[in-house]
Amino acid sequence: MSVAAQARPFAGARPRIRPRPRTTELGLLALVAVALVIGAATLGATQRLMAARIAGETLASLDFSPPDPTALVVYLGATGLVHVAFVMAGRRIDQVLLPAVAMLGGIGLLLMQRLPQDLVQQSFYGLVIGLGQLQLMWLLVAMAVIGVLALAVRSDAWLRNYKYTWAAAGIGLLLLTFVFGSDVNGARLTLSIGPVSGQPSELLKVILVVFLAAYLSENRSLLAEESTRIGPLRLPPVPYLAPMGAMWAIALGIVVVQRDLGAALLFFAVFLALLYVATGRPSYVAGGLVLFLAGSFVLYNVFGHVHQRVDNWLDPWADPSGAGFQTIQALYALGRGGLLGVGLGAGLPTIGGHLPIPAVHTDYPLAALGEELGLIGLLAILGLYLVVVERGLRIASAAHDDFRSLLAAGLALVMGIQAFIIAAGNLKLIPLTGITLPFISYGGSSLLANAIVVGLLLALSDRGAGAPAPPRNRRGLRTRLRGGDA
Amino acid sequence: MDGLVLTLWLARLLFLAFLYVFLFAVVRVLLRDLRAASRGPVELGRLVVVASPRGEPVPGAVFPLDAVTTIGRDVNNGIVVDDPFASAEHAVLTFRGRVWYVEDLTSTNGTFVNGVQVPGISEIGFGDELQVGEIRLRLDRGHSS
Repeated sequence: MSVAAQARPFAGARPRIRPRPRTTELGLLALVAVALVIGAATLGATQRLMAARIAGETLASLDFSPPDPTALVVYLGATGLVHVAFVMAGRRIDQVLLPAVAMLGGIGLLLMQRLPQDLVQQSFYGLVIGLGQLQLMWLLVAMAVIGVLALAVRSDAWLRNYKYTWAAAGIGLLLLTFVFGSDVNGARLTLSIGPVSGQPSELLKVILVVFLAAYLSENRSLLAEESTRIGPLRLPPVPYLAPMGAMWAIALGIVVVQRDLGAALLFFAVFLALLYVATGRPSYVAGGLVLFLAGSFVLYNVFGHVHQRVDNWLDPWADPSGAGFQTIQALYALGRGGLLGVGLGAGLPTIGGHLPIPAVHTDYPLAALGEELGLIGLLAILGLYLVVVERGLRIASAAHDDFRSLLAAGLALVMGIQAFIIAAGNLKLIPLTGITLPFISYGGSSLLANAIVVGLLLALSDRGAGAPAPPRNRRGLRTRLRGGDA
Repeated sequence: MDGLVLTLWLARLLFLAFLYVFLFAVVRVLLRDLRAASRGPVELGRLVVVASPRGEPVPGAVFPLDAVTTIGRDVNNGIVVDDPFASAEHAVLTFRGRVWYVEDLTSTNGTFVNGVQVPGISEIGFGDELQVGEIRLRLDRGHSS
């Protein structure tokens, strides 16, 4: 069996790690740093100018120092560290995702520094930390997660082989939230275990993509078959339709039980998108949309909270100081911004001591950015999300096998669809649903989940020679390779 | 207009401009990447030898695939497997549309995909395992660049 032993180049001697320069990433990160420093400088100058105006003074000269220089330096330093780690590891992973995400995170950080710092406050042992500092902390954690996942995940077997375990964990998480979760704004989203609290639906979206990728890659050919016929409709074998029905039921259940419209919409949209990617059949998407419309119609008529959301979307002016308040204020903010925006820090921070948009840091960051950066700035931000999606799909198209391909496509799409849903909600294109804008919104769970998404995408993009997809462990077919040197 | 306000306005525009400078730099990288990928030779797929008890072909060997590739013991096949359990003309892999199909050419011992015997023609996805005789091969996507 000496032949089998010598023919294991990928499992045995791995070549020594040699640093590999990543000039594209470095150049793009430098641009990110320059842009963010300029942004922070204008923010600082604007804030000082506004303060002087309110105090009735006139300034002799502009002071362009950022409002919180150390935070910016720490953030850029952390990003640089991740870059250095990638260089030292010598892996051939994607060079665009990190700068794009760093730019989004940096814009989010600037926004959080610009909003009133007492919007969110946490105290650690008497040390009170405001919004900007908290966001910085979570961004650092997110960067660490991206770096670690991108470098540490070398095999996808732990995702692929335990798909039902992952699904069970996801459903368990859902049930846990349902039983022990606490209500915020009428939606049961937050789960607190001891001192740690988070939104499981953010983590759930990653688990969903992993499960769907594994399930669809295994049953792809069966799903593409058409064996059942109902009248003019040709459907795949009935047992393989069951997950589609289950997915639809879970989405409806989330709306009814947790009152979380955003997560339900996101999950169902990702499910349909992945189903289309896997089978290439528009009829499935059409069927899913019909199911979606039917479900929405019933929910709209039966459940008050759905009804209220939709009515509020159709006519926020019916109750301008109550239910429609946020929506109207967001529209006015976008209107004030115009084409070029009023500039970072020059928007309306408070009216009579209150924020015009109470949930500006989580649900409405795009309205705030639209006011301060204008249409031009919004388009740039949406462009950044497009770049992330493009990279993800490119990684998917270059992946070795169907599971990796579907996983990469799903991860990219989950982020893109989430950004689309909340952006469209902010712009009153669709009813507002309370999900976060990836990497810009404030929130630990959101940043963490999206960091996992990007970290996994980077890991999947590794085009090094040393990472073949693991052989599938099928009964009775496997052990021959091992016999060599055992 | 006040001089200070004008400077501040220009600084704001500079920030927006740099957002776009970054975006354009990224798009240039993406375009270069896509062009390189479309220029490169189109490899429809490849078979990687996962296990072969007699060491011919060597495990780990890679066979780039043509749109129609035959597998068997005969030397005229696209992929020659020197295995006593393989037939002379054992199976054929064809790429149609966006999908690979494997067809068993009425071989004596059959062709298996993921351990399940192929009945005539069957679809085979990337990452699936093909067994011909005692040799197991994995279908992988070709390297695009």
